[in-house]
Amino acid sequence: MAPKTSVPESNPPLTPAMFHVLLALAGDDLHGYAILKEVELRTDGEVKLSTGTLYGIIKRLLNDGLIVERRERPAAHDDERRRYYRLTPQGREVAAAEAARLEKVVAIARARRLLKKAQPA
Amino acid sequence: MTEPERRATNRFRMLLRLLPAEFRGDFGPEMEQVFVAQREEAAREGGKMGIWRLWWETAKGIFTAAPREHLSMLRQDSAFALRMMRKNLGFTIAAIIVLGLGIGANTAIFSVVNAVLLKPLPYEHGERLLMLRERLSRSAPAGRNVSVPEMLDYRRQNRSLDAIVEYHNMQFILLGRAEPEQVETGVVSWNFFDVFGAKPLLGRNFAPEDEKEGAPAVLLLSYEYWLRSFGGDPIVIGKVFRMNDKPHTVIGVLPPFPQYPHENDVYMPSSACPFRSGTHMIANRQMRMLRLFARMKPGTRSTEAEADLSTVAAAMQKEFPNDYPDDAQPGVEATPLKAELTRDAKPTMLFLLAAAGFVLLIACANVANLNLARMVRRERELGVRTAMGASRVRLFRQLVTESSLLALLGGALGLLLANGGLHLLSAYVARFTPRAREVHIDLVVLLFTLGVVLFVSVLTGTAPAVARRENLITTLKEGGSQSTLGFVRGRLRSALIVAQVAVSFLLLIGAGLTVRSLINLQRVDPGFRPDNVLTVQFSLDFSRYTTNEKTLAFWESLLQKVQSLPGVTAVAAAGDFPLDKSPAFSNQFLIEGHQGDSTDAKPTAELNVITPEYLSVLGIPLFSGRNFIQHDHPESPKVALINQSTAQRYWRNEDPVGRRISFDNGKTWTQIIGVIGDVHEHGLDVPANDFIYLPFTQYPQNGPALMARTQGDPMAVARAVVQRLYEVDPNQPAGRIQSLEQYRADSIAAPRLTANLLGLFALLALAIAAAGIGGVMALAVSQRTHEIGVRMAIGARPAEIVRMILSQGMGLALVGVAIGVAAAFALTRAVKSLLFGVTPSDPATFLAVAAVLAAAALAACYLPARRAAKVDPLRALRAE
Repeated sequence: MAPKTSVPESNPPLTPAMFHVLLALAGDDLHGYAILKEVELRTDGEVKLSTGTLYGIIKRLLNDGLIVERRERPAAHDDERRRYYRLTPQGREVAAAEAARLEKVVAIARARRLLKKAQPA
Repeated sequence: MTEPERRATNRFRMLLRLLPAEFRGDFGPEMEQVFVAQREEAAREGGKMGIWRLWWETAKGIFTAAPREHLSMLRQDSAFALRMMRKNLGFTIAAIIVLGLGIGANTAIFSVVNAVLLKPLPYEHGERLLMLRERLSRSAPAGRNVSVPEMLDYRRQNRSLDAIVEYHNMQFILLGRAEPEQVETGVVSWNFFDVFGAKPLLGRNFAPEDEKEGAPAVLLLSYEYWLRSFGGDPIVIGKVFRMNDKPHTVIGVLPPFPQYPHENDVYMPSSACPFRSGTHMIANRQMRMLRLFARMKPGTRSTEAEADLSTVAAAMQKEFPNDYPDDAQPGVEATPLKAELTRDAKPTMLFLLAAAGFVLLIACANVANLNLARMVRRERELGVRTAMGASRVRLFRQLVTESSLLALLGGALGLLLANGGLHLLSAYVARFTPRAREVHIDLVVLLFTLGVVLFVSVLTGTAPAVARRENLITTLKEGGSQSTLGFVRGRLRSALIVAQVAVSFLLLIGAGLTVRSLINLQRVDPGFRPDNVLTVQFSLDFSRYTTNEKTLAFWESLLQKVQSLPGVTAVAAAGDFPLDKSPAFSNQFLIEGHQGDSTDAKPTAELNVITPEYLSVLGIPLFSGRNFIQHDHPESPKVALINQSTAQRYWRNEDPVGRRISFDNGKTWTQIIGVIGDVHEHGLDVPANDFIYLPFTQYPQNGPALMARTQGDPMAVARAVVQRLYEVDPNQPAGRIQSLEQYRADSIAAPRLTANLLGLFALLALAIAAAGIGGVMALAVSQRTHEIGVRMAIGARPAEIVRMILSQGMGLALVGVAIGVAAAFALTRAVKSLLFGVTPSDPATFLAVAAVLAAAALAACYLPARRAAKVDPLRALRAE
């Protein structure tokens, strides 16, 4: 663990797929299928998680306390097998830290002229 | 849901089965739901192709996720198990030691069984090699050797064999090193080693020219002799030594391989042996000095080869009726070489393997019981975990992980123990088979040990886990450590105790019977006094001692010199002495006046040639008549002594002294002058054979032994005796020098070691079982503290409490003994061939073992019973 930062890091570090799941949950609380769709949408279809991979990730994130299952259900007619996941504050911090780390990496890449210029957000 | 959807869901569920059950329990329904949604979308957007693509991606995902999830579960379980093991260090160490001993015993014995009985012979096409013996009739038990003309007939006329090679063993004197050396020599066909597929380590093999008459004499050295006498120096190739008055050139060194039937120092082709190449030997069908080995043609069975060769034997009898007795029905016995090499080892090794297996069973039952006992204390923990949502499968897995870890650690300890004891074990096995050198821990042994570990973890882990399942609900209801033993578990624990006692009983019986056999063997009166006798074996150099006069002069001089040594009270020479492992050679003879009635088989007896002092040196009594004297010289009438069993068999109601017998069909007659005591010549467990003794002066021997009775330790005069030998003939080496007592000890060394090993196993079993009973009773007492308190509060006296606990424990032990007795009656018959002088159901042994077990059980129950009697009723009741 880096000594100077108080930002929590998951250990071992996040995989890109895990990061994508955290990013997907950074917006809304979502159920499994919605997470898959969200990730696919946000990455223009470049990242497609399979169910096996997704639930392996969900299990890790639950264990590490980065996400929790939401108690209340959105609508009465919802499929009751569905469970909704929510980012915990800790999960949000980890995701933010990872984003910051990636931003620094991107900055370096830019300085070395590997990327042309900043894309408008 | 439509039909295709249902089918797809079912298929997906099958795929999910790859994942750990717990994972499936947590996420399965949800994943199913996601998959259904994905499938709908895929069908909508991509049609059939989309669905195929989805299946492909999904399967890939689950196949990669499954091992990861299993591994992570295993890691968690192991970490938890290790924590639990550290917490219960006493239990952990006890279990590892018990399992380590059990697994170690099995690994060690199995490594022997594997090397000796399972592995193919280390010869090329070992499965096609046979050992051939002639037998005269189907009823005659022992096969005999073969003569040169017979071998040539077998070679020419058989249809089932690739090759027949000959072998015999001689002691020759090798000159040209610092001292003359007596070497064990194997005399073989030129292609002997080709048949065995042994390629020389150095130099070359024998070639066909080497066996031609008059070819320059050549030698192959055995690997062991080369190491021992030449320090493994390759320069030995091409060296020339004198042997049998001829130069012999070393042409090669053999690889290390099991030599059978003797461990020879050197090998020579048959033409170089002065006896084998004599015209008498080549022409005479009755000079049977050769052992034959053969290699079958591929695909031939040994029974087919046997039938084939027996046809040849029958044809020989027809062609040469004078060489075969009328009553004979010659045949050939073809034993597969592997069976021949392992015949002596097999029953003992299997017996020991079974014993080791029983030790392991006891160890497993014991650890399973310890586990069950621990489970009582862990009820709370497991109950809480169940309540918190841990599935049954998960807890089952946890328990099995713990027992597997224990078994693995036990297995590691067992491997260490086995490896440590292996050289002792292979020295022991060498007494049974020449394959002992092949004993080591190889991949097969490791796999076996792994299998044992698996077996152990299932046996020790599943029982408690299963018992737990039954008990889950009661535990939570009863709420913890004070709960009484669950019904199922209590019964299981009792059954395990009963099993331990029963199996211990079996092992103790096995050990008891072998120990009694050993005692009986040691008590056998050998017919001679083995104490304080020195024996020196050697073969006189026949190329120099060519006449009886020269041989007799040598002996007269040597015996006189040794007799005058201080400490020597008597000295004798003989062709053989008891227990020297010389083979039995029966000779037929005629009894004067009985030649006519030849309906029965002809009388036969073994022969030995002795000097008069033989009787006093060995302490053999003379029952009637007289001993040999100096006057029985070469020219005087031929005389003989016979032993008692010969006298009883052929002169039942008469005095044999003064009767005459003939060894040459009545051409010359030999008078019986005395009857002496029977001697166990071929082993304490072998009854005394019929023996006829002839005087040394009338039949001088080149290959005899010198025996000296001494006042003190016979080995103390060994050096002086050898010095006297060199004084008489500086070129005459001594062979084996050993006390007769040592021969006697060696002759029962194998049964002694077997008894020791079994005794060790049985003691181990007894200790484990006793500890098991003690542990179970201690637990029962601690669980019944409350009940005991109540009983004492209402007036039960301590003695009654003690009796109650003892009777509970002893009840289990006695049921175990009863089952053990029944099993022992059924099983010990299998080991009959290993016993001597004791029946497999020997009542004394059974009673003694039952008493020992009962005593051990009583002692084991006593401590917990006393603790029960000291229960303070007030405190016991308050604790509730």
